[in-house]
Amino acid sequence: MTVIYTCKYAPVELFAGFGETCAPFDDAPEDFAAADEFVHPNLCGFGKDVVQKALSGAIDQLVLVNCCDTNRRVFDIVKASGKCRFVYLLDLPHCADACAIDRFAFELGKLARAYAAFSGKAFNATAFRAAFAPQPPVDYDYVGLVGVRANHYTEQVVQAALSLPVRNLTCTGLRSVAPLDDAEDEDALFSAYAASLLGQIPCARMERTGGRRQILADPHLTGIVYHTLRFCDYYAPEGARWHAAAQVPFLQIESDYTKSGSEQLRTRVEAFAEELEGAQKKGPAMTITEDTLVAGIDSGSTSTDVVIMNGKREIVASAIIPTRGSASASAERSLQEALDQAGIPRKSIAAVVATGYGRDAIGSTDSSVTEITCHAKGAHYLNPQVRTIVDIGGQDSKAIAVDEHGNVTSFAMNDKCAAGTGRFLEMMARTLGVELAEMSTLGAKSGHAVSISSTCSVFAESEVVSLVANDMPLPDIVAGLNRSVARRTAALAKRVGVNDTCMMTGGVAKNEGVVRAIEEAMGHALVVDDRAQLAGAIGAALFALA
Amino acid sequence: MNVVSLFGRLVGEQAATNPEGARKILLAGYAAQQAKLSVAPNPRLPKSRQRIAVDTMKLVRNALDHPETAAATSLFTPTEFLHTAGVTPYSVEVISAFLAGTQCEQYWLRDAEQAGFPETLCSYHRTFLGALESGILPQPKSIVYTNIACDGNMVTFPHAEEAFNVPAFFIDVPWEHSEDSVAFVADRLRQLPEFVGDVHGTAPTDDDLSRCLVREQRCAADYGHYLDMQPTRYLANDMTSEMYAMVALRVMLGSELSESFARRLAAEIDAAPEADGLRLVWMHVIPNMLPPIVSALSFNDRAYIAATDIIVDGLATPIDPAKPYETLARRMVYSAYNGSTDLRIERALDLCRRTHADGVVYFAHWGCKMTLGAAHLAKTAIEDAGYPCLVLDGDGCDRVNTSEGQVATRLNAFLELLEARRAEQEA
Repeated sequence: MTVIYTCKYAPVELFAGFGETCAPFDDAPEDFAAADEFVHPNLCGFGKDVVQKALSGAIDQLVLVNCCDTNRRVFDIVKASGKCRFVYLLDLPHCADACAIDRFAFELGKLARAYAAFSGKAFNATAFRAAFAPQPPVDYDYVGLVGVRANHYTEQVVQAALSLPVRNLTCTGLRSVAPLDDAEDEDALFSAYAASLLGQIPCARMERTGGRRQILADPHLTGIVYHTLRFCDYYAPEGARWHAAAQVPFLQIESDYTKSGSEQLRTRVEAFAEELEGAQKKGPAMTITEDTLVAGIDSGSTSTDVVIMNGKREIVASAIIPTRGSASASAERSLQEALDQAGIPRKSIAAVVATGYGRDAIGSTDSSVTEITCHAKGAHYLNPQVRTIVDIGGQDSKAIAVDEHGNVTSFAMNDKCAAGTGRFLEMMARTLGVELAEMSTLGAKSGHAVSISSTCSVFAESEVVSLVANDMPLPDIVAGLNRSVARRTAALAKRVGVNDTCMMTGGVAKNEGVVRAIEEAMGHALVVDDRAQLAGAIGAALFALA
Repeated sequence: MNVVSLFGRLVGEQAATNPEGARKILLAGYAAQQAKLSVAPNPRLPKSRQRIAVDTMKLVRNALDHPETAAATSLFTPTEFLHTAGVTPYSVEVISAFLAGTQCEQYWLRDAEQAGFPETLCSYHRTFLGALESGILPQPKSIVYTNIACDGNMVTFPHAEEAFNVPAFFIDVPWEHSEDSVAFVADRLRQLPEFVGDVHGTAPTDDDLSRCLVREQRCAADYGHYLDMQPTRYLANDMTSEMYAMVALRVMLGSELSESFARRLAAEIDAAPEADGLRLVWMHVIPNMLPPIVSALSFNDRAYIAATDIIVDGLATPIDPAKPYETLARRMVYSAYNGSTDLRIERALDLCRRTHADGVVYFAHWGCKMTLGAAHLAKTAIEDAGYPCLVLDGDGCDRVNTSEGQVATRLNAFLELLEARRAEQEA
């Protein structure tokens, strides 16, 4: 049976000395339904998944490392369940100095004795030594998938979007244990092994993490996709620091270890690919004259927007309709509405480019570009002075920094969470029993905004319910909600930098109260264009002309 | 808006442009608060608790006003090596709790988030990190920290070391409860006096440490007496005082302050009125700012905290003044907050038996993975032993992460359950 491990410091070679093979834990669950009964929801998805797999009986032998509080508790839970025949927690020091090496050697010896007792096998030093595989040199350009444990699923989504090879350099992927010197005698064997294991590029939970900069120093590293896991606290701060200092294109992504949210992940990685590999020509090959007509479709979660543009880059017609049913049906209806408006037949449209969540579901387009790149192009079209774009759509919110040509230089998106999005405001309007349009102006009548402290939409909803129950004036609650959205958005914008002219796009740009609150939170004025909601579709149309 | 939140806003907004000025305002506020606590202490509290409120305020002011004689520490750092040498523990958790008490924590939480610290990190650590980013916290002379009780330490202190640019001393505590681990930590602790001497000018001697441990023995006996009286007496208490007790018996353990607190407590409990309210064993940090908990468990002889595991943990292992390094190492290794959950459960059950507790509240502080991860195991084991256990989700520091209505409903329903159980037992 294979021994399953969860950390690059796990002594894989030691198990080879017992004739066992090891494999890293790797899975991409649909959900954590099976773990819910045993594990508090605020543990990281990796930990929850190890628990549910182990408790289902799918893991025979499990070696955990004392990497973090979650792994420690996973050990307690799995051990108490009695579901694994062998479960062990290897105590990993936080340092790599001489004392720590001695101690770790002692811990490795203890594990070897425990495994010998469990398996009835003897440790074979020759097999152990033979297990050290020399690492082939990396002499090609690659994108590093860095940060915390990414499963094969995330790795595949990232690789699918990029033409360069992706190397998994996350805390379980980056395992590189230097072979031991042949001259080591048996007694010194485990000390040398401990030094070798601790000599790897450190993980973020160690006392000294400076050695992690080796990852950045590799000249073949062409871009970084930095992965963090929700409820893992070790890697996000490093991600933020590296982002600020990165010499190569950088993308930070967060997952919960499940397969959900893959659409958002795909959008982000594809936008990153566009940044990394240069804005490739996305439009179909054709000759463009002043009379050429093209269409851009922005297939969003709330609305489907269409812009028809001519060869002079003038908007001929546009349409905004709510997204209902399938993305492709909504796209067809929206396109038809714009065509009717302009009084032109479908066949006179030379090219269609789609963007937004539904972009690849729309069959009848010539190509697709992510909404991040399109929003940037569209905002630049509306106002060439724009250098920062704040976009709040129905499903997500994002901040984009652009250069003088409308090219994306950096972007940040909120993570799988309704807070700070149009959906959040919709939910709250429903809770308050007011129309969305009313929400836009109601806050202005507030004498004193209440503080809505919850950033989680679920908590915020119950907070709002209590405020209503306490007879708090509606305008004060709305003003408080606007502030809570603004606080989150401003933090996002500051991550990419707030510079020069700053434009707000997306459906929420129509909400005056939120716009004012964001300006206040950022300490910077926002430009809102009447056509702001069309920015994505405009960008797509521009790509059709490119 | 009340005075405290106005003051918090003033400090928070000032910090954006003038962190030094913000610190001065903060310290002026704390000085005023200390004066108020000295001149007009809460008359409902016994002397011991009135006094520790003043002493804690003094400690915080001292750390922030005289950082040149302070060392930043975590809650499980053996501060005996510091206060015996005249170095003030600049406690991250206590300072965060005070910043939250001043209602300016949201400013620092925002700053921490902008610096990339995830909102899922423990809010005591996040508040500290944000305040550090903002520049309001003065640079201590050094840092002495350990990996227990939680990962928050390994996120916070290496970062603080870099940001403050001061020498740091790290005590790595092995996970396993064993004498090997004790020997390893004791070896590390033997290097600590030299570090303190080099950085702060005065090194604690072995005699200083031994004398300190003698005080701790007296303190443990007095606090033990206080615990033993719980089944029949109630000494007026509130959540904030319980938090201050943690300062006395953890952050300042072995000091005069700590000893006199326990001595007064022991004398006062003897004179306290007889009571037979619902006795709770509280596990984990004390959320002294969550209104529903404060109103349910403060100054209430019908339901109160009889013992808090994080406080008693500091006094749970044997004290041998002749062997200071081993004693202090053993306290760290055999802390209920280190190693497997079994010890934490066992210690909580000891407290239940000792105080004749009616039930246990397991406070699942947002972001504390070591506590959250053990919640299910602890609840099951405690209930199997015959004590009802409430896993109460909340956040002791960041108001954002708690739904007050839910906390109130759950805690009060639990108290009703305990009440009904008593009635049944008596019938």
